[in-house]
Amino acid sequence: MEDDYKFAASTFFAKNHPGETCGSNGLPLTPSSITILGRSQRLLQIEHPNLCTYLDIIRGKHERIIVVAEVIGKALAEYTTKFSYEEIINIATQVACGMKLLHDGNIIHRTLSDDNILLDSNGRVKLFHYGMYYMTNEGKEVPFPLGLPRYFSPEAIIGGGGPSADVWAFGIIILELCIGKLWNNLKPSPTMRRILTLVHSNNPAERIAREHYALDAYKEIPENIRGIIEKCLKIYPSERATFKDLHSELSSMNTRTPSEIKPVRGLMGCKLQYLYHWWQLAGGDIQAELKKSGLIKNSPPILSMPIAILLDGPTIGGKTGALFDRRIAKYSLDLLKNRLSHIPPSDFYPLMHERRRDYEAMALPKIIRERDTEYQFYRLLWFQRLLHGYPYTAQCIRSEAEIDIPPLVRGDVWAALLGVLGDIETHYERIDKETPTHTDRQIDVDIPRCHQYCWLLCGAEGHKKLKRLLKAWLLTNPQYVYWQGLDSLTAPFLYLNFCNEARAFACLTAFVPKFLHKFFLKDNSAVIKEYLAKFWQMAAFHEPQLATHLHDINFVPELFAIPWFLTMFSHVFPLHKIVHLWDALLVEGPSLPLFMGAAILRQLRDTLLDSGFNECILLFSDLPEIDIGECVKESIDMCRSTPKSLSYRRFTNEPEIKDPMVRYAYITYLNTFICKIIIYRDMVEIPMEILLNEVCPRISLSDFFSLICQDKCCVIDIRSNLLYEKSCIEGSINIPYSGVHLGQHELKSLGPQPYKVLVEAVKMNKIIVVASAEDGTAQLVRDKVFDFIKILYKGSPSRFI
Amino acid sequence: MISIAMATNRSAQRPNGAPQTKVCQFKLVLLGESAVGKSSLVLRFVKGQFHEYQESTIGAAFLTQTLCLDDTTVKFEIWDTAGQERYHSLAPMYYRGAQAAIVVYDITNQDTFGRAKNWVKELQRQASPSIVIALAGNKSDLAAKRMVEFEEAQAYADENGLLFMETSAKTAMNVNDIFLAIANKLPKSEVSTGGAGTRVLNDADAPRASSCCK
Repeated sequence: MEDDYKFAASTFFAKNHPGETCGSNGLPLTPSSITILGRSQRLLQIEHPNLCTYLDIIRGKHERIIVVAEVIGKALAEYTTKFSYEEIINIATQVACGMKLLHDGNIIHRTLSDDNILLDSNGRVKLFHYGMYYMTNEGKEVPFPLGLPRYFSPEAIIGGGGPSADVWAFGIIILELCIGKLWNNLKPSPTMRRILTLVHSNNPAERIAREHYALDAYKEIPENIRGIIEKCLKIYPSERATFKDLHSELSSMNTRTPSEIKPVRGLMGCKLQYLYHWWQLAGGDIQAELKKSGLIKNSPPILSMPIAILLDGPTIGGKTGALFDRRIAKYSLDLLKNRLSHIPPSDFYPLMHERRRDYEAMALPKIIRERDTEYQFYRLLWFQRLLHGYPYTAQCIRSEAEIDIPPLVRGDVWAALLGVLGDIETHYERIDKETPTHTDRQIDVDIPRCHQYCWLLCGAEGHKKLKRLLKAWLLTNPQYVYWQGLDSLTAPFLYLNFCNEARAFACLTAFVPKFLHKFFLKDNSAVIKEYLAKFWQMAAFHEPQLATHLHDINFVPELFAIPWFLTMFSHVFPLHKIVHLWDALLVEGPSLPLFMGAAILRQLRDTLLDSGFNECILLFSDLPEIDIGECVKESIDMCRSTPKSLSYRRFTNEPEIKDPMVRYAYITYLNTFICKIIIYRDMVEIPMEILLNEVCPRISLSDFFSLICQDKCCVIDIRSNLLYEKSCIEGSINIPYSGVHLGQHELKSLGPQPYKVLVEAVKMNKIIVVASAEDGTAQLVRDKVFDFIKILYKGSPSRFI
Repeated sequence: MISIAMATNRSAQRPNGAPQTKVCQFKLVLLGESAVGKSSLVLRFVKGQFHEYQESTIGAAFLTQTLCLDDTTVKFEIWDTAGQERYHSLAPMYYRGAQAAIVVYDITNQDTFGRAKNWVKELQRQASPSIVIALAGNKSDLAAKRMVEFEEAQAYADENGLLFMETSAKTAMNVNDIFLAIANKLPKSEVSTGGAGTRVLNDADAPRASSCCK
């Protein structure tokens, strides 16, 4: 029965800061619960056969912390039968193994006791609650003392003690297993007094046994075990053995090979983190369960009111700090088992070469898919497979990520999409992240304002990590400087890789050249100007009516879009929206942000069309709620339907378009309907000044021809009749420039034939291309024809895609 | 007598919404080192809010607020700029054509006061000669950590003919007052009928051609 329980929760309150105290920078002190949350992230990463995996740290109301972790079997304290020496060695070996890992990672247990060593019927041992001392910052963030007095080492009682205090506790535990409970029924202070009197003893273990009238039992303990106990129970911490030694010694003594546990198949064989995640999606609620089992009790607020509040803040009386509640609530996975009971066993082992199934949920919005138990079940198992095969599966990961990315593995998938490979840890380790630089002040003032609603990023731990990442990036990119906004850009990577700074760094390092090439140059004006101009052209191409309006009221992207692109929207949206935007970004590539900008404009379109300059700029200063799912969908549609060369930028790291025709001809687009061909001779690059003044992007000849071949455009040739007759593009219509009356406002004035063709083209959603030999006239005609189209579509603006 | 009305009524900003009383529209720009509290001052003035973790401003933000004086309605079009030195080159786009400026420093940080002086110098040299400049020593709630003396700043302000107040966006101290003082000092002769925001850009050349980030 006991094996039904897979994980357990316990809860406690973090310390409350008295009154409304502020830190030296005038900001409120970080709540203790936030500090605990930040520190405990590291614990969530620990996986070891002898340590219960931490699954979740939840921050509840009023500084409540709920810790969720794996459980097995039951605690040593709950076993009533005596263990054989063989069993004791087996237990001790496994405890020492787990402790060795903790000490290797500089984590002190400090609360090692017989009620947090779990043992199951197969003889497996796992330590539980080993992270309390670490997550509470050595107990500084909680109002209660940590640990049980009878396991305190002498130096721990007087307020000192490092890792070797754990060795003492370990010794006491083995001694207890051999001769029975020590200092039973003794209150904490006499217990501690007894321990302190041991300091004069040459052999504390023996003395403890004698005090408990168990000297005979002590002498009966086999020599080797007694040796271990005595090596642990040394008064001087420096004389005690380390877990490294203890583990190797115990391993050689351990005759019992751990009974072969058959790997579990099916649901229970899945990663515990996944099981917990699915359990939550299936409706599992830790807090509700804790309430049910009485671990969370709500007392009326009047009972927790202070009796007196002094003028300068401190309070007296009321709810006083309770001791740590050692009870745990255990959870079974029945809920999840029932939910997934219909899934055939073979589905737990998806095969890579099999075509993936189409799930019903696929049609639903991403946000809903992310909350769907069964869908996430399939997706997670599938992604686990793919990630396992990375980098060989990189292509496959990309095409799956196009559908969606399970939130639980987003960090891994992003790293794969960005091509992060190799020994990133060593690389990151070698970077000097500590030496002060002159950018530190700016970083220091920016970090406490960067995505601070996020619990992870607002604590001291988050601040330290973000600063290290920024400094590391700046140091390894000497060609770049710190622009405000780089902090926001780094935040999503830290958020997803909170305990893997090296990977967060590697992701950032790969992201910038791909999406923000040269943006962080000291002089980035040309880069940003080009980007904004391109953005405006894309907006004009897809939203001609809106673009004209904004152009008319002199509303330019410089006023609002710099933070959009400089930070790839990470300064504009909260993290839960950014991750969805970037999911798409990482898959689609560096042109997508231009269209994301256009998609945002499109969402605000009706308001913008009705607004003057002031209202428009106000709207962007305080951006209204944007539907990110919609925005992503629209931007991908736009991006894919736009010929590649239209969004061509000079400042990009992308491989250049190797197209010989590009060198000689550019076609200038106006919008979905109207374009203009200008044949440029001997011109490779468009000068910046020209680019900045063009409302419409240019297209490469090959893209243009492909449009013609697919019958997706209609060409208006505005050269003179003579030239047109000499040679022309097949299917084009000729409206000589000289024949266009600028005063006319009717499309019909162009003549019956062009009128018919144009109306037809517009109906078919064709792109209309105005071809001419020179620039200026084409510009005029495009304005003219654009007017006509505007008039034509006044009644049904929805036709502008 | 003096009240502050929220400028949420959009139609009031419409050029065709002919106002009853005299309406003056002024462009005001906030300048100063980063993290001195420019955005917080504006937020307190415009929305009456204060966020401990007000995020940094990239580029600039735009907000409006209307003040009712005895006989005139003064509408401020406020450009809140980015403080980081790197964004400096964007600043002229915002202060050119501005009738008023608030240069903000942090009273707990001497360096920000030095930077404020530079901003004043730059405004005196490059902005419109009639610009009304106010100096705001923000974060006065942190007086215990004061590094810039009130007298020192007052003397500097007197020397340069600036309005001066110590403010606190957190406690709202002097926030409305400094805007009011500016409103009172601005000449009300010129009655504009709205749409002045576009002037921002006309004055700042064609925006495309104007300098962007540098």
